[in-house]
Amino acid sequence: MTTEVDHPSARSDRLPQGVGDLTTPWKAFVLGALVVLGFGVFAYIWELSQGMVVTGMRNVGSMGGASWGLYITMVVYFIGVSFAGMTVAALIRLFNLNDLKPIARFAEVLTVVALLLGALAIIVDLGQPLRGIINLFRYARPQSPFFGTFSLVIAGYLFASLVFLYLSGRRDAAVMARYPSRLQWFHRLWAAGYSHTPEEQARHRRTTFWLALAIIPLLIIAHSTLGFVFGLQVGRPGWYGTLQAPAFVVLAGVSGLGNIIVLAAIVRWAVGAGDRIEMKVFSWLGRFLMILLFVYLYFMTVELLTLLYATPEVEKQLSDALLGGRYAWLYWGSVALLVISAVLLVWQVLQGRWRMSWLVAIGIAVNLAAIGKRYLIVVPSQTHGTLLPYETGSYSPSWVEYSVVLGLFALGALLVGLFFKAFPALPLSEEEVMSDV
Amino acid sequence: MSRKAITLLMILGGLAFMIIGYFSSAPWGAESVRNSNPRFDFAPALFVLGVIIAFSSAVVYELLPTREEDDGAGE
Amino acid sequence: MTRYAMVVDLDRCQGCRACMEACKIENNTTESMFWMYVFRFEEGSFPDTKMSFLPRPCQHCHNAPCVKVCPTGSRFKREDGIVLTDSDRCIGCRYCELACPYGVNYFNWQKPEKAYYSGEGGIDWADPDLEGVTGGAVPAYKNPELDKLWGTEKRRTAGGGHAKGVMEKCTFCVQRVEQSLLPACVDTCPVTALRFGDVDDAETPISRFIREKDPWHLLEEAGTEPNVFYVGGKPPSHAYKEVERPKARAAT
Repeated sequence: MTTEVDHPSARSDRLPQGVGDLTTPWKAFVLGALVVLGFGVFAYIWELSQGMVVTGMRNVGSMGGASWGLYITMVVYFIGVSFAGMTVAALIRLFNLNDLKPIARFAEVLTVVALLLGALAIIVDLGQPLRGIINLFRYARPQSPFFGTFSLVIAGYLFASLVFLYLSGRRDAAVMARYPSRLQWFHRLWAAGYSHTPEEQARHRRTTFWLALAIIPLLIIAHSTLGFVFGLQVGRPGWYGTLQAPAFVVLAGVSGLGNIIVLAAIVRWAVGAGDRIEMKVFSWLGRFLMILLFVYLYFMTVELLTLLYATPEVEKQLSDALLGGRYAWLYWGSVALLVISAVLLVWQVLQGRWRMSWLVAIGIAVNLAAIGKRYLIVVPSQTHGTLLPYETGSYSPSWVEYSVVLGLFALGALLVGLFFKAFPALPLSEEEVMSDV
Repeated sequence: MSRKAITLLMILGGLAFMIIGYFSSAPWGAESVRNSNPRFDFAPALFVLGVIIAFSSAVVYELLPTREEDDGAGE
Repeated sequence: MTRYAMVVDLDRCQGCRACMEACKIENNTTESMFWMYVFRFEEGSFPDTKMSFLPRPCQHCHNAPCVKVCPTGSRFKREDGIVLTDSDRCIGCRYCELACPYGVNYFNWQKPEKAYYSGEGGIDWADPDLEGVTGGAVPAYKNPELDKLWGTEKRRTAGGGHAKGVMEKCTFCVQRVEQSLLPACVDTCPVTALRFGDVDDAETPISRFIREKDPWHLLEEAGTEPNVFYVGGKPPSHAYKEVERPKARAAT
């Protein structure tokens, strides 16, 4: 099969799904993202030169601050989001969920981008970032929960997801490579000689099946390790507990699915793919999200009841701050967002009708709640959870932290936006693949 | 070497690197200086390399052409 | 086998905080960084209040959570029991700070030269009159021993360099102990509330002192097996309120 440039049947120079078509709205979006990213980079350079004193973080205890703040909150959040993308893609492959095939690719892209952002968020939080990268590869200790985060999550999971994305995209890359365009070299490279023969398809199915199977345990171990970073610390009331690892995994699923729903809605609108991403897809995603939300709300309820029934003296200060004190607005706000989302999802299931606007709102709401919950895990145990009776502390992020975090979000949006101008977001249909063969 | 053999070799090799890398990194425990140093520098990098090699085997398996049709002549 | 430990006699401690000052001068710690820290507690409400004091150095735990979580092995425990931080290897992730139940860890949030009580209302180290006296050393009492590599493991653990972006904490004055001196806080205490020595040797004064008294540990239930013993007084509960905290500008 040829992939030559001037194939007579290539109807036009327009690649599918707007690939390579740099529209004005898209350019404006890229410009906006670059501006925010630029500001974030400036803020980080300022942090590097002045030291982390420009953040709102200070030492725990005698200095009355919190040493882990917004950056670590975002590390946990981003890595959590990455969990759902690859899980959905792997499940689609393992159980042949054909209805969901359209969203597989951007679920995979979401995972890769979110992991990159998570890794960057760790780096901006290090006092010695360059040394950090080298010394982790050189000296990392397996006993530290960070070892799992660094080696399994960032290195292992990221690489495995890239492999999965690459292999899953070869077929479409081969189709794209038929069109004459500036990106043809990229598509050819990706396709690496893919020919849509039955043997090749069978081989691809086998490979992705085993890959998906291998990724799932890696995923669970990786996210549990992240939970262990917090759950094993006896010295931090509010952190130490057996529920941390499972709760991390579940909330990761919730926030990730929320992101996928929002992304699916955006792709559907941007690419005009109302027929490709049918409401069936959203119905499935919505149901899955609803189940995970209920599991998570169950965890929160158990935790709350335990706190209300009996709290060790030391934790009382912490739980008071969470439920009725300094952090109450964030705690109850996050709970409200989660509960309302769950209710709206149940409503749609009962009615049998799904509304796009509700779904997007739910997707955003659960992500905001996830960020809030992550913040509540990280910060209050430091300001109000010291085992020795230090005065309570305080923490609020500085402009540097907000800028860097916004810059990270901008980078993520930019990467996704750039990627989907170079490669189709939705897997090409069989007709598009089989034509010109 | 056949495609399947290379793939298997990569998976096993990757696993081997992971095991060696893991157990050569700093031993568990908080008792002495020994618990803070790996047996050799960059042992953790070996672990990560093992993970990468193991997953790269999927790319090799899918991309390498089969030579089953060859009649055995040459390599 | 040597095992260094400290005994804090709460019946003698009068809250003068000379130990905090001595530690600061010996170890050149920056603003708001108190490797040795003395709590002033108040129990009860006026007029039935009771004040007490609690010196809190690093506990040099036998089962140190900070050592367990350090991702690069820069926080380690020596065979003689002292827990140290290698400032050449530390990457500043601050995990040890979060893992420590006692709150003894301090991070260098900025370049140390900028954090020695300078700034508004503080000391202007660049003042020529001052420079003439200090010879340009910041701080004036700069201790050259801190930069050296200590121990058979030869690592920069005496807090040397106080680099931006790395962690540090009480070292039991390793640079002094290796020269057979006492830690600065122990040496300075005017009422011998602090004692130091090898508790693995049953005949040292500190071992005998421990045998006579009924010592307890801070946060025994955390399972950290600290090497700092307390005699007299009682473990602080959350009914205690911290008062008269050292007011430092804390790099605001």
